[in-house]
Amino acid sequence: MTQPVLEVTSISKQFESVRAVDGVSFDVGRGEILGYLGPNGAGKTTSIRMILGIFQPDEGEIRIHIDGHSGRLLKERTGYLPEERGLYADATVLDALAYFAELKGMRRADARQRVIQWLGRLDLLDWQNKKVEKLSKGMQQKVQFIAAVAHKPDLLVLDEPFSGLDPVHQDLMKDVIRELRDGGAAIMLSAHQMNQVEELCDRIFLIHHGRRVLYGRLDDIKAAHGEHVVRLRFEGTAEGLANLPGVAELSIQGDRASLRLERNASPDVFVRSLPAALTIREIVVTRPPLHDIFVRTIGREDNEAA
Amino acid sequence: MKLRSVISWEFRHTIRSKQFLLLSLLIPAIATIAIVVASSAEGASRAMAEPPPPFIIALILAMILFMGAFLNGVMALYGVVKEKQSRVVELVLSSISAREMMAGKVIGLGIAGLLQVVVWVIAAYFVARQFMPISLASLTLVHWITYPIYFVLGYLLIASLYAAVGAVMKDVQSGGASSMVGLIPYLPIMFVAYIVEHPDAVLVRIAGFIPPFTPSVMMLRIGAVPLVSEGMRQVPAWEIGLSIVSLGLGVWLTMRFAARIFEIGLLMYGKTPSPRELWRWMRAKRAP
Repeated sequence: MTQPVLEVTSISKQFESVRAVDGVSFDVGRGEILGYLGPNGAGKTTSIRMILGIFQPDEGEIRIHIDGHSGRLLKERTGYLPEERGLYADATVLDALAYFAELKGMRRADARQRVIQWLGRLDLLDWQNKKVEKLSKGMQQKVQFIAAVAHKPDLLVLDEPFSGLDPVHQDLMKDVIRELRDGGAAIMLSAHQMNQVEELCDRIFLIHHGRRVLYGRLDDIKAAHGEHVVRLRFEGTAEGLANLPGVAELSIQGDRASLRLERNASPDVFVRSLPAALTIREIVVTRPPLHDIFVRTIGREDNEAA
Repeated sequence: MKLRSVISWEFRHTIRSKQFLLLSLLIPAIATIAIVVASSAEGASRAMAEPPPPFIIALILAMILFMGAFLNGVMALYGVVKEKQSRVVELVLSSISAREMMAGKVIGLGIAGLLQVVVWVIAAYFVARQFMPISLASLTLVHWITYPIYFVLGYLLIASLYAAVGAVMKDVQSGGASSMVGLIPYLPIMFVAYIVEHPDAVLVRIAGFIPPFTPSVMMLRIGAVPLVSEGMRQVPAWEIGLSIVSLGLGVWLTMRFAARIFEIGLLMYGKTPSPRELWRWMRAKRAP
């Protein structure tokens, strides 16, 4: 296996009496998106700040490997979108962004040119000479994103990239993030929108109370948590569905039924056993959405702790 | 390279701000008042016809230095607090080190401030000529060499002190004990009369080597010694040299100290630390 770009080994951070991060390890490789998830206050932002060198971990080690260079921090090759927007409010969009790209080691002329390209890509060209404070929340989020990516980072850390964006721009953001991944960037992404995470991420790390709860490939996690879920619309009566092989739970509301299969039950066995008498208008057989896994796992953890 | 970017950004950012324009008008007003006051207080006995002694110029320069450094120091402080509140620091510190950020800010703002001050010193010279037969001939080579050095170093010292104070402040309203730190360099101003009359007193000589006091004390001493000692005698070269070295060292240490405070204090949102906590930060192990 090739060397990961970001390698985090059992980092911990204590604040007063709270152990914000407790022995967390993971890695992110080239051309990969790792979803870094957890409820509010779980330790996500603290972990991210340690990776960016804003805090030092009390214990553990963080290494970054890019093109044969290794180090604790490779600031010029790293891009960061902080959770809270922070840009010089009284500077113009172009000036502020070019300055941040300069701080990443770009020459001023190149920086301005690259920033203009990005402003074009994110529909902000008309705003380049406006002051940052005049922009709407969503626009500021896009501007902040450009500050993270304009210097073509090899490691990109995105804390809540979708916050404040409308659905159209959420999709645009998703496309851009995918492009960056396909271009070889290692991306660590923290977000609360599970549907977005599901569409983007190759692997997931779920943190709760500072500790690892889940870590692995999205598909594997889904398989492990994976009683299949079936949703269908029908004509006729659907009560008989409860007796089909592998059905653990059935609920019917009007012409919609939703079923949960037993763990290990095979969806094709279930589908083949559907009665011919039942007219099916729509059917979806799927693993439970990440949202459900997230909520259930965190809930279970909290019950065990209580 | 990056330091240059930070300096240039801070400089451009500063000279375009409204506060800067306001200060540019305030400083000459204050300088004019200082000149009028100084000339009238001294004036009666020494007669306005006589060129004023160099220590008057030293006093005016010291006043302008402190006014300029104070006002721009406060601007630096506000800038830091604002960046902290808007979390710009987080992004900046993910790109450059706290020390680069700190140095760039102090130097960038410093250049803007010095430029402002130089313009006004020149203006003050022409204003002063209306009140007294001020002549640059009363200034010797010693003044020409040492004053700019004390001025620039004193400026950097004060600006770094203020930036450090800004780094630990929660918001611009809460000053607290830490903001008093910024007043330390101003202490000697309270003893102007004593320093001018006794420029060779042991206490004054010692104060000249203590960095926060050095710029004002030494400028006054160099201005007053030849006058008080009735001769062409001047402060010994070794004392001037040592005071400059110690001031330079002081600037370096303050910048380091401020950068360290920056590193830790900037991200301690929502609270102003106690002196004990500050001390603990300072000793905290630096990351490898």
